[in-house]
Amino acid sequence: MGIDLFGSLPLVVIWLALGGVGIVIQAFVRDNTRLVFGYYISTLIATGVLAALTFGHTGLTFDGMVTMGGSGAFFDILFCVTGILTMLAARPYLQREDSEIDEFYTLLVSAVSGMMLMAHANNLVVLFVGVELMSISFYVMAGFFRKSIRSIEAALKYFLLGAFATGFLVYGMALVYGSTNALDYATITSVVRAGTTPFPMLLAAGVTLMAVGLCFKIAAFPFHQWAPDVYQGSPTVVSAFMSTAGKAAAFSAFIPAFTMLMPVGAGASYVMNMQLALAVIAAVTMLVGNISAVAQSNVKRMLAFSSVAHAGYLLMGIVSGTAAGHQAIVFYLTAYTFMQLGAFVIVSILERENDGHLEFSDYAGLSKTHPVLAFLMAMFMFSLAGIPPFAGFFGKYMLFIAAIDSGFTWLTIIAVVSSVISVYFYLGLVVKMYFSDPVGEGHATNPGTAALTLGVAAAFTVLLGVLPSVLQSMFTAFH
Amino acid sequence: MDMHVLLFALFAVGAVASAVLTVTRRNPVASAMSLVAHFFMLSGLYLTLEAQFVAAVQVLVYAGAIMVLVVFVVMLLNLGNEHRLQERSSLRSVMGTLIAALFAVQVIITLLAHPTGMNAMSPQALTIGTTESIGQTLFTTYLFPFEAVSLLLLAALIGSVILAKRHVK
Amino acid sequence: MNSAALIPLFPLLGFLVIGLFGKQLKSERLIGIIGSGAILASFAIAVSIFFSFLGMPGEERSMHVPVYTWISTGAFTVNIAYQVDQLSLLFTLIITGIGFLIHVYSIGYMHGDKSFSRFFAYLNLFVFMMLNLVLADNFLLTFLGWEGVGLASYLLIGFWYERKFEGTGIVYTGDAAKKAFIVNRIGDFGVLIAMFILFNTFGTLSYSEIAAQAPTVWAPGTAMVSVVTLLLFLGCTGKSAQIPLGIWLPDAMAGPTPVSALIHAATMVTSGIFLIARNNVLFAMSPSTMAVVTGIGITTALIAGTIGIVQNDIKKVLAYSTVSQLGFMFTALGVGAFTAGVFHVMTHAFFKALLFLGSGSVIHGMHEQQDIQKMGGLKKYMPTTYKTFLIGTLAISGIPFFSGFFSKDEILWMGFLNGSPILWGVGAVAAFTTAFYMWRLTSLTFLGEERFDHHHVHPHESPATMTIPLIVLAVLSAFGGFLGVPHVIGHALHIPNLLEGWLDPIFERGMSFLPKHVGDHAMLEWGLMGASTVIAIAGIMLAKSIYSKGTERAEGIAARMKGIYTLLWNKYYVDEVYNFAVIGPILAVSRDFLWKIFDVKIIDGIVNGSASTVGAGAAALRKIQSGVAQNYALLMMVGIIAFLAWVTLGR
Repeated sequence: MGIDLFGSLPLVVIWLALGGVGIVIQAFVRDNTRLVFGYYISTLIATGVLAALTFGHTGLTFDGMVTMGGSGAFFDILFCVTGILTMLAARPYLQREDSEIDEFYTLLVSAVSGMMLMAHANNLVVLFVGVELMSISFYVMAGFFRKSIRSIEAALKYFLLGAFATGFLVYGMALVYGSTNALDYATITSVVRAGTTPFPMLLAAGVTLMAVGLCFKIAAFPFHQWAPDVYQGSPTVVSAFMSTAGKAAAFSAFIPAFTMLMPVGAGASYVMNMQLALAVIAAVTMLVGNISAVAQSNVKRMLAFSSVAHAGYLLMGIVSGTAAGHQAIVFYLTAYTFMQLGAFVIVSILERENDGHLEFSDYAGLSKTHPVLAFLMAMFMFSLAGIPPFAGFFGKYMLFIAAIDSGFTWLTIIAVVSSVISVYFYLGLVVKMYFSDPVGEGHATNPGTAALTLGVAAAFTVLLGVLPSVLQSMFTAFH
Repeated sequence: MDMHVLLFALFAVGAVASAVLTVTRRNPVASAMSLVAHFFMLSGLYLTLEAQFVAAVQVLVYAGAIMVLVVFVVMLLNLGNEHRLQERSSLRSVMGTLIAALFAVQVIITLLAHPTGMNAMSPQALTIGTTESIGQTLFTTYLFPFEAVSLLLLAALIGSVILAKRHVK
Repeated sequence: MNSAALIPLFPLLGFLVIGLFGKQLKSERLIGIIGSGAILASFAIAVSIFFSFLGMPGEERSMHVPVYTWISTGAFTVNIAYQVDQLSLLFTLIITGIGFLIHVYSIGYMHGDKSFSRFFAYLNLFVFMMLNLVLADNFLLTFLGWEGVGLASYLLIGFWYERKFEGTGIVYTGDAAKKAFIVNRIGDFGVLIAMFILFNTFGTLSYSEIAAQAPTVWAPGTAMVSVVTLLLFLGCTGKSAQIPLGIWLPDAMAGPTPVSALIHAATMVTSGIFLIARNNVLFAMSPSTMAVVTGIGITTALIAGTIGIVQNDIKKVLAYSTVSQLGFMFTALGVGAFTAGVFHVMTHAFFKALLFLGSGSVIHGMHEQQDIQKMGGLKKYMPTTYKTFLIGTLAISGIPFFSGFFSKDEILWMGFLNGSPILWGVGAVAAFTTAFYMWRLTSLTFLGEERFDHHHVHPHESPATMTIPLIVLAVLSAFGGFLGVPHVIGHALHIPNLLEGWLDPIFERGMSFLPKHVGDHAMLEWGLMGASTVIAIAGIMLAKSIYSKGTERAEGIAARMKGIYTLLWNKYYVDEVYNFAVIGPILAVSRDFLWKIFDVKIIDGIVNGSASTVGAGAAALRKIQSGVAQNYALLMMVGIIAFLAWVTLGR
């Protein structure tokens, strides 16, 4: 019972910094984006540092509403780092597109705080509030370019379908509550494991609907269709943030929720069906994502479909239902965050007037006009395709092993096949950049602080591939 | 107890009927008004479940504040020509109806799987729905999500300002 | 840290330095020295290890060199560790030794190219990856190298990506690179699945542990071991250009010639041989896989050999020849003659690198001309190239006491002994075609009259950086065979079979699963050796009688010069008779069926077919992604209903 102040610090600090101080600063200091930018960067840094400090301090706080330390703290760090990297890339991008307003950073930080709630949730109510906090920030960020029809369309589409999916998430939570008479994870876990609920079928339906809600957030088939449209229409840095941190957050909630609701080999009778159904969803998701990506001529849209495919790979870890599978998800998410963010940020640097310069053909001969960007892009593509020694290879490898260990060899075979398909378009871009001549005059680019983002993303993409043990050693602290 | 059941059935039928009206009315104002009726029915349902606080809030917030806003917007935008909003793809409406029917069948099957009959209302139910007990739990056990919701509202506020602001730099 | 860990490190450093600072370095000389120096340093270390091994007894000639722990998750750990033993050291010596010569040669060959530094960076990267492939102590690291050499090969084939290139369905060299890459992915898929099965069964990917456990887990000849080895072999057919995945290699000739010599002749394409040799225990446990390896090997050797006869591009002849020689190596492995297979890898590396570099020297001297019908008489302009090329030709044809003779003869003999006389017969026919097309190539290039345009082409000998590697390789091609003298000859001349003694500890365990043939067959072996020598000489003589005085194309040029034209007419008639009676049918089959139909239609068709299936799927999915939010919600709803029905109602 009660509150453990030290362990709650990351959550409390980001709240106070946002709702307590940030808003006041923005109210009194007008039109000083530099100050606001610096303030929110420091907020995220402080939160990340606190999360790192509380990493080993595991347990529950706020009357068991949220967890402290461990995997939650790990995800906090990931969200904060992604947030910082996105902000660094967003500033030059928004200035170039002439739409930098302070509130962009406010919303980004509030999305981060929502994600942190999702990662720390130990109660369905907290999970729901976290999901909504993140989603509402996203809806607005997606429509941030108010003069662009595509951006507005993206926001509206995301909002409508998001609300639709949220309905199912809540419905699911209500059914779970009704059949277990509890909202906190510990009680639900014990009821599900013991199979003592008087309403097994309602529980099964509730778990399914919760899975639907979460599958929407990770963009898994058949709940994925918003993703390509939204990622393509949104400002590129927003797409970068949503498709990385957003997906990470959804999985940070998915893992504990399904450890609780889908205890493999124990309790409720629906577990087997659930596992198999999720496996089919994973399989179709990666196939649909990769096959659709093959047909794209727009780089941003290709990356959007690739993010759908990656949701499929990541779901394999949930399907396995083992600790190894969950660790594989965490590893792959971390790797994926850096490589996907890097790729999107390069797109944002090369892009002109929101919609311009996004086609594959615009990337022809990039190795000649922008050798460094082309090199980094090639590296991110290799990593996304899962070619060693980059980070993507390991993540995939761990996921595949986890799936095989839980008897899902067929799923792994499909994953391998779809990876082979994905090589086509990832390397297609590399071929375009390196083996064809530039069309017309290459325009000058000024990455500004985005260079820092790319540097960090590239460093991690290599580091996690060459020294995966650095990250793996942290997993032992998870519970 | 019989009275409870009777009232519950009455409000339930009313809620479904008004919801159907909301979707099917061509006139936006009529549609909005049906929604108001729906909210009242829901509020009645809450009352039969002894959840007085939620029932009151339902009327105040939804039927009161939100619906006033909705009606205002409908009036301001002058959504007279509702034919333009009419669904053109008939295939989609057929599919939609079919899928909705399927879903309904599924819900019924799921519910029929647990024939629990009519249970007597738990004596606890009389106390947990009151303003007092809700206030109690909200500021003790559920303090954390309560505070989190304030942040959620803040984000929504900022978001709506951004999207509605007339002059963007 | 053990000095062996430095072997791959030097090429990596070379790659990084040239890759990152290549543009700043500017001086071609400096880049060349860094690039070649890195390989030379690795070679020096390998040689020092080799000599330290010589001082030890056979079983101790093995080092396990851990570098660092790569992955560690629960029960699964992969160390980056090198297994330095007789097999990997032999391959390392070939890769770094020949690699060094080819780097030196490239300094001259690539002189003045605008992407000089990029070329050396890629070449160093390739050597690094190749060394990882052969030195690895586990499948995963080998696979990393396996993919890495594929990448380097891809980058180097498409090096001159804007150049036109004639190939089946190919216009630019970049397309050839893509083709090579895609075909190899199919093979890699097999290796990947095999790795998963192995890990699932043994809980480890280490070669030594799998080899130790396999006989206790699987009984020899069980289905599982056959499946795994066949999947691995699928990877080998991709990398080593065997049927059915061999189509990429001739097109890979689009790359610069030193690349063809190093990657597509001497080293990378032999990784398939390496993989089987490394896993000889697994392969020996499955008689059916061994039979498949033999069958594929000998068929490829014959088909590629016959196709080689009709090619007119100097590099394509050599490419088909490489495919054919690789077929011989697989035949050897398939009949359990592991040493003979690896021996042929070595001698082939010598003479094929020599031949490719020689052809590069010719192309260089002829201003990028690759058509042998437009050459001839180059002997007097390029004496060094000619002499060394001639040695290479004699070596590959199997003329006694040149290196190719020993290794090829060993393969044919083992095929006879462990396989059947039919195997020997088919192999002998393939060897005959080898001698034939090689002499045709030499003859059309260096001998006879000059068919090139003197006004535009001024053939000249290549610079010393190019000829010195040629001379060194010529010496190796001539005498390298004495490392593995067959027993009968060795017995007569009192020369031990050094290579067999060297490799025995590696293959001992694998050999124990194979039937042994004991008894004295000395007379038979002498007889067959004599027969194959006669066949080689006959191939050369036949080619000589047809091509020494001209070709159809020579006839065409002669047609414009009336006098000589009539003079040559009758000779050409002889050609026609030959063509009609002997070569014609072979040519027709190889050109019209094997090349045009089998190669182009069937195999390319399969590759293109799978691509268009994906394309069709993408088009269908595009329709579903309509952009209409209501439709999306509808699909979601369908998904929800199906999902709910499955979970709640499914049993």
